[in-house]
Amino acid sequence: MGMIELAVAKALASSAVFLFVTVLMMASAKRISACIILFGAQSAVMAAQVLAIAYARHSIEAYAVATLVIAVKVVAIPFALFRIVKELKAPQDVTASTTATQSVFIMAGLILLSFFAVAPYAKTLRVDEDMLAAAIALLLTGAFLMVSRKKALMQVIGLLVLENGIFLAALTTTFGMPLVIEIGIFFDLLMGVFLMGLFVFRIRDTFDHLDVSKLRRLRG
Amino acid sequence: MKTAIDVIEALLLVAMAPLIRGVIACVKARIQNRRGASVFRPYADLLKLFRKQDLVPDTASWLFRLAPVVLFAVTVAAAALVPVLHPSALLGVSGDFIVLVYLLTVGRFFVMLGAMDGGSSFGGMGASREALVSTLAEAPLLLGLTSVAVLAHSISLSAIVEFSVLRNPFQLSAVHVFAFVALAMVAIAETGRIPVDNPTTHLELTMIHEAMVLEYSGASLALIEWAQAVKLTVIMALLVGVFAPWGMATSASLLGLAVALPAFLIKLVILAIAIAAIESSIAKLRMYLVPDFLGVAAALAILAVVFTALTR
Repeated sequence: MGMIELAVAKALASSAVFLFVTVLMMASAKRISACIILFGAQSAVMAAQVLAIAYARHSIEAYAVATLVIAVKVVAIPFALFRIVKELKAPQDVTASTTATQSVFIMAGLILLSFFAVAPYAKTLRVDEDMLAAAIALLLTGAFLMVSRKKALMQVIGLLVLENGIFLAALTTTFGMPLVIEIGIFFDLLMGVFLMGLFVFRIRDTFDHLDVSKLRRLRG
Repeated sequence: MKTAIDVIEALLLVAMAPLIRGVIACVKARIQNRRGASVFRPYADLLKLFRKQDLVPDTASWLFRLAPVVLFAVTVAAAALVPVLHPSALLGVSGDFIVLVYLLTVGRFFVMLGAMDGGSSFGGMGASREALVSTLAEAPLLLGLTSVAVLAHSISLSAIVEFSVLRNPFQLSAVHVFAFVALAMVAIAETGRIPVDNPTTHLELTMIHEAMVLEYSGASLALIEWAQAVKLTVIMALLVGVFAPWGMATSASLLGLAVALPAFLIKLVILAIAIAAIESSIAKLRMYLVPDFLGVAAALAILAVVFTALTR
């Protein structure tokens, strides 16, 4: 019993570190498949977080949410993305418009920015400052990934990271939203990934590449 | 008693260094589905080289012969600075992590001088590349060590390691994670392992360290090879000591040391297997991508230093 409590405490205390590590690795990753794996790992960290909260509060709903996180974000979405990557038969590199060094520096700056941004609120809201900062950092870095990567699939992954940030912010400030809303969000997300997947295929078929920076002209 | 243990620790690092190289080579061979040479092969290599004639190019000056000796001397001195089995080292002084970093740099400097003194164009090319890599690696190495020094409120390696020993192993701190990643990346560059340099290649376009030692032979080459192995082991011992010192004896008691020695060896072997796995799964970077690789390490090291202020 003591060990479980210890593990729960540590999962709560150190998951922010793992989240930072995953986004920083995404910043330096060169291949789309690496980014997908990192997104899966990031979602697994969040699932551990939800499980820890569920255990600490004895909440059945939170257990259900944790199961959903694992089913949708750790298994289904990465699997679907891998499938898309495989079917696309397109080059795997992310083609960033910044070098890895610049990306990591910018991400580090965004992480620090989020720490300074949440500092005034963390005290009044009585939430864990690290976790709230991690949530904001995920939001910012997800947006940064969408802006700085040229491949259409990376926009999808950036959006998913951003959504992870929103989910984490909701989790830390309110200890999770009602189950019905969570289910709705997950369904939305899954549909979103499928739609974006379709879009990616359309882009590939129409333009013969996935570079969104070259989508300048309309084509019939 | 304590001094004796410290001397034995330093000698241990120097003596087992070729073995670590052998283990890495052996694991790599296994991963590549080869049987591989014995783990003691590097010792045989060294012995063979020590017996061979030491040829010096006609154009070379006394510097050429001096460089390997200086390299070996400073690397052994660096080995005496790193705490291995308990949080204290033979040459522990305040601020010794800076001494450690620059001892290694002095070694590199002399190898570069020797390489250029040899007169071959490869030596000059390798030396210029080495200069680039070591310049870029210095900042993240110092910053990474600084961040843990700030946490430990001390700039002596022994105190930093002692702080790590007394930490709760489950308490994962962001500073340690970032500093570890940064230092591991630097360690790869410093020791010339695969994403940065390939220690087994003799291809003109890619080699860095091998290009520098191309003109050396016999005992001089043996000293360089041995020093290179010691450097790898010292940096591995440093990573183990600062980031995963669990099992290390808190005081110099025989029982504590009896636990600490196998624990240290196991951690070193795990690290060696990790290095072999990384080297087998990653392709060597193009020379022009190395600054980017080390830039990422620098960014992480800076983040680690800033986080010391954020997490207190």
